[in-house]
Amino acid sequence: MSRLLVPLHVQSIQNLGKSQDELVYHLTAHLRMNAVYWGLTALCIMDHKDALDRQEMIDFVTSCWDDEAGGFGAHPDHDAHLLSTLSAIQILIIQDALDCVDVDRVVKFILSLQQPSGVFAGDRFGEIDTRFLFCAVNALSLLGRLSELDVEKTVGYIVQCRNFDGGFGSSIGAESHAAQVFVCVGALAILDRLDEVDVPTLSWWLAERQLPNGGLNGRPEKLEDVCYSFWVLSAMSILNKVHWIDAEKLTSFILSAQDTDNGGIADRPGDMPDVFHTLFGVAGLSILGYPGLKDLDPVYCMPADLIERMGLRKGWKNLERRTS
Amino acid sequence: MSSVSVPYAEQPQWADVVPLPQYEGVEPLAPIFYTNEYKDATDYLRGIVKTGEKSQRVLDLTKHIIQLNPAHYTAWQYRYETLLAIKSPLDVELELMDEIAIKHMKTYQVWHHRRLLMTHLLRNTDEASTSSSSRSPSQLASTELTFIARTLAEDAKNYHTWSYRQWLLAFFNDDSLWDRELDFVDSMLNHDIRNNSAWHHRFFVVFQSGVREGEKDRDRILRREFTYVKQNISLAPNNASSWNYLRGILDYNKIPYSRLTSFVQPYTVPHADVPSDLVDLEDPPPSRGAQLPSPGAIEFLADVYEEEGGNSILKATELWKSLASEHDTIRRRYWNSRMKEGLRAIQVKS
Repeated sequence: MSRLLVPLHVQSIQNLGKSQDELVYHLTAHLRMNAVYWGLTALCIMDHKDALDRQEMIDFVTSCWDDEAGGFGAHPDHDAHLLSTLSAIQILIIQDALDCVDVDRVVKFILSLQQPSGVFAGDRFGEIDTRFLFCAVNALSLLGRLSELDVEKTVGYIVQCRNFDGGFGSSIGAESHAAQVFVCVGALAILDRLDEVDVPTLSWWLAERQLPNGGLNGRPEKLEDVCYSFWVLSAMSILNKVHWIDAEKLTSFILSAQDTDNGGIADRPGDMPDVFHTLFGVAGLSILGYPGLKDLDPVYCMPADLIERMGLRKGWKNLERRTS
Repeated sequence: MSSVSVPYAEQPQWADVVPLPQYEGVEPLAPIFYTNEYKDATDYLRGIVKTGEKSQRVLDLTKHIIQLNPAHYTAWQYRYETLLAIKSPLDVELELMDEIAIKHMKTYQVWHHRRLLMTHLLRNTDEASTSSSSRSPSQLASTELTFIARTLAEDAKNYHTWSYRQWLLAFFNDDSLWDRELDFVDSMLNHDIRNNSAWHHRFFVVFQSGVREGEKDRDRILRREFTYVKQNISLAPNNASSWNYLRGILDYNKIPYSRLTSFVQPYTVPHADVPSDLVDLEDPPPSRGAQLPSPGAIEFLADVYEEEGGNSILKATELWKSLASEHDTIRRRYWNSRMKEGLRAIQVKS
């Protein structure tokens, strides 16, 4: 079986953003903050946290502060958004630099995005999604300010997104999707409200995501994709069901999606790698106990020791780390 | 758009706008053609946002940027604000964005924009300026449903598109819109029986938001749904989506799985009994050439036995064992755990 090509992946993450004159760099500006978080977290899990310059990263994050809104944009001059605000907070916590944020203002910004239904909008433009609800809950928890959240209202919305198959969708009435399952289960875990999950049905639905080639899909009758290694496994870890997965086959599937020339992991073998799939591939491997990796907290998708030190660890269970 | 290749600085109608570059003092080393076009347009947008101008040319500029990068959310946001400020007819805007929506249907901004437009159209029906025609909101919604159907013909499982359709139906909640929805689901499933989004939508229409006041005869509806899903399982016995739907109906209506034992049984064995030419509408047999046994059927029958309890649980464990060792080996650990639980239940009872 092939191995995880750590030095190559580290290098590919270091190379991100070095070609700012390429079109793709501009077209992905709306994801820049997320990309920095994805890269940094992947590096932490591969135990190469220092491969990117700490001060440069902090400077980038602070340059994305939207002073009018009181949150972070994805890029300097972009409007504040919950997705980038959560990533900024995660980066600053990993880098132990939260002191450069006006926490009161960020909390106010986050809470201002909760809708009467309980769901959160991503920004003032008003798109709603359980993803944004998770971003809000996660960020407030990391900032130690969950007490200011209307928990009943928030949980109430999640419950309405629960479907007949035990899964959750992006909004009321929407189809179950593994990524939405992760955000809903993750939010319920943070809020200590996992009693709202139909555990047998959802665990079954999650186990059903594995295909004979070992990879996981996000919905029935869809293709496998490396990113579901995280979305599905994290939810299973929270429900203590990772041991139902065929870990050997999934591990080989993730490894087979590596770019063995330039580093990085793709959605599936033969495709172009990117930092999003690199993180979620590495994260999946960590949950599966792949040797040499650091533990990942599946609720926060951050280094487990850090979350433990912050006193935020929930009752998830990853597979035991193998030695070889 | 005729002006696409001409930089804004060379267009007289933009001479009064001061472009704001994103990276001050940074010169791209190897600029490529469309990078320049994109940077040029976004520099002008930043200039416009700074002065707060809302005008027709802002619509041209934001459309240009959206065509180059449909994920540019500031462009969408500013476009929407401009439409409202200059009272541009929103139904015209919807049509104008049709092509972009189909081309970039994986970008959620495309759908969110339409959602904002439809919301405004419904909430402001009295405002003469919102719509260029005299069509009622539900007529506009009906047109929109047709458009969504056209989009789904391009990508039948697009998540954003389906949830937009679900939102639209629930938001307008008009009987005339719901009436045709089941036909639409039928056409989607006729095209691809394995489309889980369409099966989910069927559940949404039949059992959730789509339930109408007048539909008191739920038994008739249940019978119709059982017939429908059985026929689909008969056509493709290894389609996870239809088995999920069947389970969904039973769980939601609290009907015991044993109601379907006679239907499921022929699917749990290899092609021993070749289906006769008799058509059994109640329990349609597996279609010829279907791959049997179907793991979904075996799992279902095991659930029937588990539900019965007592010694039937032994029959269930036999089935789980066959799934673990032969018919669904990728999930052997799951089936092993079901076996263990089943056997534990027997021990507790005895």
